[in-house]
Amino acid sequence: MKINISRQSIYLISLSFVLLIFILLFAFLLLIPEGKTYRENRLVVKKESAELRKYQQYNDETQERLKELQHENRHIITAFDTDFNPSRFEKQYAKYFSDLKLKQETRLDDEKSFIVYEVNTSSKINSPQSFYDFLDALNKSDWIISVNFPINFVRENMLIKSSFKMKVYADPMESNTTSSEEL
Amino acid sequence: MKYSYTNRRRKSPITHELQLLFMFFSITVFMLLATYAFLLFKDYKFAQNLVAMQQERYDLNISLKSMDEEIIFIQKQAQLSEGVYTRNTVLKDSIANMFDLVPSEITLSEASLLENGLVLKGITPNKDVYNFMLQAPLRSIFHRTYSSFYPIGNGWLRFVSTNYIDKEAQEEEEVDEDED
Repeated sequence: MKINISRQSIYLISLSFVLLIFILLFAFLLLIPEGKTYRENRLVVKKESAELRKYQQYNDETQERLKELQHENRHIITAFDTDFNPSRFEKQYAKYFSDLKLKQETRLDDEKSFIVYEVNTSSKINSPQSFYDFLDALNKSDWIISVNFPINFVRENMLIKSSFKMKVYADPMESNTTSSEEL
Repeated sequence: MKYSYTNRRRKSPITHELQLLFMFFSITVFMLLATYAFLLFKDYKFAQNLVAMQQERYDLNISLKSMDEEIIFIQKQAQLSEGVYTRNTVLKDSIANMFDLVPSEITLSEASLLENGLVLKGITPNKDVYNFMLQAPLRSIFHRTYSSFYPIGNGWLRFVSTNYIDKEAQEEEEVDEDED
């Protein structure tokens, strides 16, 4: 039996075969590895984006917490940021005293990394009640101030002469600038 | 001269079969190439996204760190101010208690509140009033109480009362209270 295949057919078959080989090689050597890389990359991106979302969520939560804290402690933050002004202090608290004078202001050692100034005060009051009112008002003042020992009360005719020390707390210099920038 | 009635067939190397074959393979190759290009493009996009996301995460990390520092700082401020406010309130109560302690029979002329003590100066009609009405409560508060008297003209006595709290004894008491 003789199979009669024309020359044309042989060309056709060989060309088909070459093209088929090319396609197979292309698919197995390039396309499939690339597909694998694509799948791997897609997983990595998915993982990364999930992690990023988690970060973003945590970031948002922290920001919320910070805002809440800033809102709650607005008065305190401003008080720590405000420079102590003796004449303004005298003006503000004059109503509690018959006479109020602030003496020298000295810088003490830092306390918990906050700057501390000591101010000596001499004043005259009508009754101890004025002093209690002053202490109450001090807790709402524009600065963070604590009254410290020694506190002296001396009767002087109808008035009580009082002298005491006050500690004024202020932000450390570096955070002073950062917190004011951020606020 | 024409020997045939049929027109001659034009012969071309690109036969119909070859055209069909080319068409088939070109479509296949095009699809494969398109898929490959799509994958390459996607990979490039993924790489870009990954870099962007990593940068974003880095930025978020920085902002988180600064916010955390800010939170700690505000907490520190709040803690310190809370301490200051409490000290002022306690001081107010201490001064009020001190003035309440002095009976109406005794007149104070000077009072000094120290870190660990109290110095009172004033006049009393007699020693008994002082001892029972002022010294007794003072003794219950302070660890050491010293009193001295100077007579003044009208039979009254000027007194100086110095009272101290010993820090060590106070610490011991605090420990005892904690244990209870």
